[in-house]
Amino acid sequence: MAQLATLPVLPSAPHYTAYKPRPFKREEREDVTLLFGGLTWKHERMMQGVLHNLKYKAEPLPNIKREDLDVGKELIDTGACCPTIFTTGNLASFLKEKSATHGKEHVNNKFVYLTAGACGPCRFGQYHQSYAMALDGLGMKDFRMFLLAQDELDQGEGEGGGLQINMPMSLGLIWSILCGDVITDLEYRIRPYETVPGQTDKVLQESVEYMYQAYLNRPLQGGKWGTMAWHLTTDYFTKALGEVRKMWDAIEVDRLRPKAKVKITGEFWLQTHEGDGNYNIKRWLESEGAEVIPPPVAVWLHYLMHPEIRKLERRQSTSKHPQLEHKLLQVLEKVYRGTYNRFRKALANIPYELPDQIELINLAKPFYHFELRGGEGHMLVGKALYSYHHKKAHMVCELSPYSCMPNTMSIGSMANVMGRYPDLLYAPIEVKGDAEVHALSRCQMILTEAKRRAQQEYEETLKETGLTVEAIRQYEAQHPEVKKATYKVPHMGHAGEATNYVLHLARDKQIARA
Amino acid sequence: MRIPTLPTWFATKASSAPTKKDRSQVRVGIPKVLNVWSTHQFWVGFLKALGVQPENIIFSSDTSEEQGREHGKGRGTVDCCYPVKCISGHYGELVFGQKKKINVLLSPMLYSIPSVLRGNVVDTLTCTRVMAGPESVKAGFLKERDVFAEQGIKYASPFVSLGDPHCVTDQLYDGLKDVFELDKKETEHAVAAGYAALDAFNAKARGQSRKILEWCAINQKPCILVMARPYHMDTGIGHEIEGELQAHGYPVLWLQYLPGDLDLLNWLFEEDMRIGRCKNPFDINDVWTSSYSSNTNEIMWGAKVAARCPWITCVVRLSSYECGMDQPTFTPAQKIVEATGTLFFKFGDLDSTKPAGSVRIRIETITHYLSKYSEDIIRKKRAYLSDQGPLLEGEWPERPEVEAESPAPQEQQEQVISVV
Ligand code: SF4
Ligand code: SF4
Repeated sequence: MAQLATLPVLPSAPHYTAYKPRPFKREEREDVTLLFGGLTWKHERMMQGVLHNLKYKAEPLPNIKREDLDVGKELIDTGACCPTIFTTGNLASFLKEKSATHGKEHVNNKFVYLTAGACGPCRFGQYHQSYAMALDGLGMKDFRMFLLAQDELDQGEGEGGGLQINMPMSLGLIWSILCGDVITDLEYRIRPYETVPGQTDKVLQESVEYMYQAYLNRPLQGGKWGTMAWHLTTDYFTKALGEVRKMWDAIEVDRLRPKAKVKITGEFWLQTHEGDGNYNIKRWLESEGAEVIPPPVAVWLHYLMHPEIRKLERRQSTSKHPQLEHKLLQVLEKVYRGTYNRFRKALANIPYELPDQIELINLAKPFYHFELRGGEGHMLVGKALYSYHHKKAHMVCELSPYSCMPNTMSIGSMANVMGRYPDLLYAPIEVKGDAEVHALSRCQMILTEAKRRAQQEYEETLKETGLTVEAIRQYEAQHPEVKKATYKVPHMGHAGEATNYVLHLARDKQIARA
Repeated sequence: MRIPTLPTWFATKASSAPTKKDRSQVRVGIPKVLNVWSTHQFWVGFLKALGVQPENIIFSSDTSEEQGREHGKGRGTVDCCYPVKCISGHYGELVFGQKKKINVLLSPMLYSIPSVLRGNVVDTLTCTRVMAGPESVKAGFLKERDVFAEQGIKYASPFVSLGDPHCVTDQLYDGLKDVFELDKKETEHAVAAGYAALDAFNAKARGQSRKILEWCAINQKPCILVMARPYHMDTGIGHEIEGELQAHGYPVLWLQYLPGDLDLLNWLFEEDMRIGRCKNPFDINDVWTSSYSSNTNEIMWGAKVAARCPWITCVVRLSSYECGMDQPTFTPAQKIVEATGTLFFKFGDLDSTKPAGSVRIRIETITHYLSKYSEDIIRKKRAYLSDQGPLLEGEWPERPEVEAESPAPQEQQEQVISVV
């Protein structure tokens, strides 16, 4: 072949180039709003506190609406999974609306979008391709979008220096997510039993606002390692959560309402979301007489960081000290769990503990290999079996986006699980975004059986313990602390809250038999 | 667990020295699905090195609706893309449809795969359905009772990252030691033999593609690049669309076997490298940033090669119904190809039944455009490349000037869109 250096200059062929955002400059920071989204309003409000604390202008995208699905469908290639369509539509709707008032140029210059990226062969790994296509379709290729890698806490300065994904930002965001999780757990454990309708939601609002302020006023401590050390040792957040707990003390609950406990699992975005994107299924389940166990984002982060699960991802590592690195990751994982437990404790241990990832691997082993990537991987099988074996829920409701690649595979392997555990109540719900009646009626069928089991277990427990509702009411009148939302009822080996409550009073509080 | 019908298989000699087991009677069935299509020679080389006789390595047939009806009925556990859905039929054929029974059903969970792009992309992972497919499909054979055990078959589904050779010995040893009574040393040897067989096969196939391109260059004739996933080579999945095009006299190249020779690629991407679009001919960062998935990465690379190579005047994209991996690539791949006026046609939503009527009409359209525009496309793309190229040593016709107008006539672009 002719030597490159000696060749004459050639004409350049026309060429397609992938989306690349222009730099976001440091001096623009005060003037440009960071947009973000994808979690619940509670998580997002606290994350906003973190970003405001770091002197960014920041705003979560509006909650997903049904119409976002249509907007998204119009802008990207057909056949996308519904989380991609919804989130693309959500961003596009916002940009369209803002552009209509302020013009495209203003929006291009005054907003940037921050999204999760770098996460394997599907899921977030390719969301941004769809966003880029939507921007093209909207004629807004100049709009800037940046990826937040989930496996790097300190990515340094982005091009232009406007965005610094550093330790104070990453740890702040992770900590706010963990707080969002424990407060969400609290919410779902209390609301079905509140005696004053609407009180939980009101206290929830106040709590989230309080936590927003806590994040807004987070004292920033030194550089990279100083920030890390401070976050790991400070009681700043647990104190704030302690104040939140006091707010929840005021809620009175009636736990003698036997309810089917429904564990939500599924694709990450779909299970976390609260709104039209998943037919508001968590609220719907509550309205149908269930208590929902929401999926904490923390479990997903735990999965992402777990040194055993992610071993293969370090297969190309050029590290000189792989063993030391592995040990460090093990320590980090322990610290992570410890932090989550401290937050739980600040809320009277009412939020659920994180499942042991090794146990999830082992439970899923005969059905789904833990190193298979994409989506929730083996966790869907693992979590279903975890709640079955530990009697954490009467039923598992798995939210699966239509055409989701990994979810279809784990649903397939659940056929094998169901063959071995025929009494596991499992409702895989396919979510297209526009077929609500079909999805909810499928769920209803399994829920009916779950409710029957909850009622039966409760009645049998009353019979076994010899307790009556009257006797319990009498005890409650004398010991009003047990009616507080923040009173911890231990897990007594049953899924139902009412059943565990009766057993707890009978065994631990020794209420006299009728 | 030993297979009782074959006591000799696992028999070891009394000596304590490591000896090669006699596996000459072991029959291994391999479902010919998904990325087995691009790695089959590894498995053949691996098993042969373990002493399995070539005639005892049985691949299932090409996918067909009859295969599914006869052997896979009632065993599907989920509704998804056809390349995965059809696997139950392949399993069933190997379990129930063999005159001489197999002893092992080997269905690897392929996590990553070898790729010419390795080192230039983030990763070379398989699609999540490709890697997890076996877990989902096996459920259909285990949910009521263990069909494999009933049939005296050992089900072996090792998790393996073939794209990372240094991990493979351990993975295959862990996944197959009980099935074949392996020791580590012979596993290592068999893995090396597997890679050698795969490399030799790929080199040969790529060499043949190069010969096709040379023929096209010498004769100034066009050829077609099929841009698809490897398993679209399966006649039941890709529906032999490329065969119909070939029948019209157009040579066909498959993306998976494009020549990877540096002399050729440096020539094609010379200007792109000079102006910094890409670092080397295998760099796809300019067109696709989330380069995790191996097959997707190669599709993007193939699109780039097609956009540059003068004699590839047409790209035919095949994609299966409900393919989540292809979905985000449709527009970028088409835009890459069409940027230089190369024809682009897509057969999307391929499913179990061949859409014979519409395929016929499209083939007519494609061949019409090929005959009408190829000469023009070759001339225009040639203008972006230097005078001396590797395909035509010393015989290069003069390089034409770049023309001012768009390389693809407007009429052609509109027609292309309507056929997609
Ligand atoms: S996990 Fe499923 S729904 Fe989520 S991005 Fe991947 S394919 Fe889409
Ligand atoms: S790449 Fe597409 S067709 Fe292939 S297994 Fe994955 S989803 Fe199915």
